[in-house]
Amino acid sequence: MAQLRRLLLRLYNVVFPARSEPDLARELASHLTLMEEDLQRHGMTSDEARLAARRAFGGVEQTKEHHRDTRSFVWLDDVRRDVAYALRTARRSPGFALLGVAVLALGIGANTAVFSVVNTVLLKPLPYQDPDRIVTLTTDLVRDVGPIRGNIADADFQDWRSQATTFEAMAYFQGGATAVVVGEQAEYTRLTRVSDDFFRVFGVRPIVGRLFGPEELRSGPPSAAIVSSIFAQSHFGGSGQAIGRTIRLFNRPLSIVGVTPSGFAFPDGTEIWTPVPLPNAANPLLRIGLNFRAVGRLKSGLSLEQAQSEMATIAGRLEQQYPDTNTGTRVVVMRLHERMVGDVRLMLYMLLAAVGLVLLIACTNLATLLLARATARAQEISVRAALGASRGRIVRQMLIEGLVQGLAAGTAGLGLAFGSTKTLVAFIPGNVPRLDEIAIDQRVLFFTLLVSLISSVLLALAPAFHASQVQLENGLRQGGTRSVAGGRTRRVREALVVVQLALAVVLLAGGGLLIRSFVALQNVALGFEPQRVLVIDATVATADPRQNASLFFRDLMAEMSKVPGVVATGATMAAPGRVDSTGAYWIDHVPQPSEMRTGSSNVNSIVAPGTFAALGIPLVRGREFDDRDVRDAPMTAIVNETLARRALPGQDVIGHTIVCAFDTFEQMTIVGVVGDVRQAGPADESRPECYMPYLQHFYNRATLSVVIRTTTDPMLLSETVRRKARELAPTVPVRFTTLDALTAQNVAQPRFRALLIGEFAAVALVLAVIGVFGVMAYVVSQRRAEIGLRVALGATPAQIIWLLLGRGLAVIGIGLTAGLLGAALTTRYLGSLLFEIKPTDPLTYISVAGLLAMTSLVALYVPARRATKIDPLVALRCE
Amino acid sequence: MASAQRAQKDRVELLQGTLDLIVLRALATMGPQHAYALAARLEQVGKHALTLNQGTLYPALVRLEQSGWIKGTWQTTENNREAKYYAITKAGRRAIEKQTERWRRLAGLVDKLLVSEGA
Repeated sequence: MAQLRRLLLRLYNVVFPARSEPDLARELASHLTLMEEDLQRHGMTSDEARLAARRAFGGVEQTKEHHRDTRSFVWLDDVRRDVAYALRTARRSPGFALLGVAVLALGIGANTAVFSVVNTVLLKPLPYQDPDRIVTLTTDLVRDVGPIRGNIADADFQDWRSQATTFEAMAYFQGGATAVVVGEQAEYTRLTRVSDDFFRVFGVRPIVGRLFGPEELRSGPPSAAIVSSIFAQSHFGGSGQAIGRTIRLFNRPLSIVGVTPSGFAFPDGTEIWTPVPLPNAANPLLRIGLNFRAVGRLKSGLSLEQAQSEMATIAGRLEQQYPDTNTGTRVVVMRLHERMVGDVRLMLYMLLAAVGLVLLIACTNLATLLLARATARAQEISVRAALGASRGRIVRQMLIEGLVQGLAAGTAGLGLAFGSTKTLVAFIPGNVPRLDEIAIDQRVLFFTLLVSLISSVLLALAPAFHASQVQLENGLRQGGTRSVAGGRTRRVREALVVVQLALAVVLLAGGGLLIRSFVALQNVALGFEPQRVLVIDATVATADPRQNASLFFRDLMAEMSKVPGVVATGATMAAPGRVDSTGAYWIDHVPQPSEMRTGSSNVNSIVAPGTFAALGIPLVRGREFDDRDVRDAPMTAIVNETLARRALPGQDVIGHTIVCAFDTFEQMTIVGVVGDVRQAGPADESRPECYMPYLQHFYNRATLSVVIRTTTDPMLLSETVRRKARELAPTVPVRFTTLDALTAQNVAQPRFRALLIGEFAAVALVLAVIGVFGVMAYVVSQRRAEIGLRVALGATPAQIIWLLLGRGLAVIGIGLTAGLLGAALTTRYLGSLLFEIKPTDPLTYISVAGLLAMTSLVALYVPARRATKIDPLVALRCE
Repeated sequence: MASAQRAQKDRVELLQGTLDLIVLRALATMGPQHAYALAARLEQVGKHALTLNQGTLYPALVRLEQSGWIKGTWQTTENNREAKYYAITKAGRRAIEKQTERWRRLAGLVDKLLVSEGA
């Protein structure tokens, strides 16, 4: 209690240091008077008494100093004084101070915003119970097209689950955008079919209602659903009201039995979960189709490696037990978080590094400015030193000035980050996970503070060094306006410019590589023409797609082809970029069950007549699908060039038959060959593809994408389509996008990277050039008198310019060389982000060096040129 | 000169914190006092055995006052001079017992250590 009281009073005295001084002085005076009078009473004269009293008392000033030490925290008081001094200095040249704080605030704000993304996506644990114990299980197998990773076969999962002992729970799931009907309203939502234990893996319990019961998990169509709290809120007005309500899925009713806690939307923002029964493990076909994803929760205390080695053992057993289907199939166990962020980690850290470099350049730039000012302040510093300020005290003064600036900038930067994180997030491509969770939390605040402190020190270092070099007499004698620590200060400035140039080269090289890579991506022919194509997803919610679905799509296409501006119409199971089904194919041969593994793998799609024209995929040979390819006619297929080439090298595939492991093992006659399509964007290789007519296949045909090529902006047609669709079938939900938008998704990340790093590099370029300009202007001002003299003695402008350029050219040369070396060392980390461009691409390096050299030369030339205009009379008189 | 040096040597340097306790005790027994009177009293009690510039009292006084154990008020002396009189507070009286106890324990401990070293 007494200690706390004392602490508070001492702090009070730090803030108001002078409050106790008059009282103390009065008390000390009274003390001395009393003693003197006392001594006089004992017979001393007044002079003797005064001296004796002083002696007995000790030093009055020392007593006051001790008193101050005791009643306050003197070092804190010094800091307070330095801060006040720094603020006064800032007030004296507010423009300069504001510029510094603004530049730094932008840098810190950008760093904070990028770090808040890194923090949420990479560093924050997943918002599930014991997130470290949640893992994904994937199969890893080598097929003829290369390694296939990711999905699992449901029958395999059944064996994993019954044999594994390292897992507390294991579940598999499958899903995507699905059409459901709530009340009268048809809409697309994200629906996931999940097996028993799915929610246990995440440690999720429903906030109202219950999980799926055993009877709901038995085979047959699902009868129950669990919905997210957001879905319950938006559709039924609350979680409690949702229980017992009905959703219709493919025209079958699902009763809502539970609502998940808010924030749970695994996977990919799922709103509805329905039960999927465990499969019949005896069916060998269920070991070929890789249609599910799996997650598991490790038992407490067990490591990932233990689980991995157990799963390897189980996979080995399955290989022996089912050699036809499982040979070469391995299981990979990986933490869920790692699986989610593995692909974007490099990109995000690259962004953080780039934005950090920008801040470093900004700090260096400001440091040169501060250094210039420190030179101008040499007189002030000399006076302070003359008045007894120690060198340490002056250096601390400089550091505190930096700190004040850094913290002010940090606060402003935090404000900027609050404002700009949303914008940044909007720019980030959608396949970066967890973007909705991004917020500024404690860790981000700590990061901002740390960055601010580091920037402060970086800022203050050069001026502090300079201040410590100030020679007292020089500073006072020369009036301190010029060349105090002349040569040394200039070298520090030049070193700072070298650093700026080098860092700018690194950033420009990185940005240049990413931009060139992006341009290369854009120049790849995709195999289709994405411009002016409307893509309409529609799902016919019927229990038996054979009856109505095809009628709906046929009628919609017929209606739309009559609309003015429509060039071609078609319908496809998977528009380019949305591979929906991969399988295996056999030419002129119907495979036996034991031959399942012998097929080569391919992409399957079903399409309506007109689709190739609508998508702009060229027909190479043979014919398109037409009204001959209907339900009871002989089965036909069209393949792409890659499949044709691989299946029968050097021969014409037309007329041969093909069997695709899709929905039937019947032979189909190949009637045409079409061009290749890069499905997953320009960086993807073309894969063998088999197209089948939509009227002859029924798998998945309730959901098709109608594609319409137009002569104008395709989105203008969307209302017409919506109206026609509603006339044909009021409960069919439709949604729209364009083929351009779908294609852009594939290059969204490279575009984002190139754009952002390019912007950072541009900022770095501007800052570096300002730095070069600054140092040259400084040199000119330093040598004014000398130049004046030379001009007076008859030097030509060209001679003056060369005289001044020499040193500047050396600085630029060193900066560029160091930067190119730095770039060569760092850009190799970009390797996996680049497409068709090597990290050491000479063209990029040469262009970057050239660009910086050119702009720096201009920045050198302008002040040098101005120097030739110096009037010798004025310059010499100044001296 | 030599005897003066010896006298200097025989004086006791005050341990950190002991002055606070001495001042507190003096105020408890003597009632409110100003700094000069306190200093004179301490010199008298210590029979000049204490090294004490009178000024050294002030840090102790401010420490005690900030801890809330004494309180200073301006008053006039009998000779009609102004002086700041310090009085012990209730908290100060409570503190004496605690601090004395602490001091005894410490002194006892030092004593014991010195004895065992000597043996």
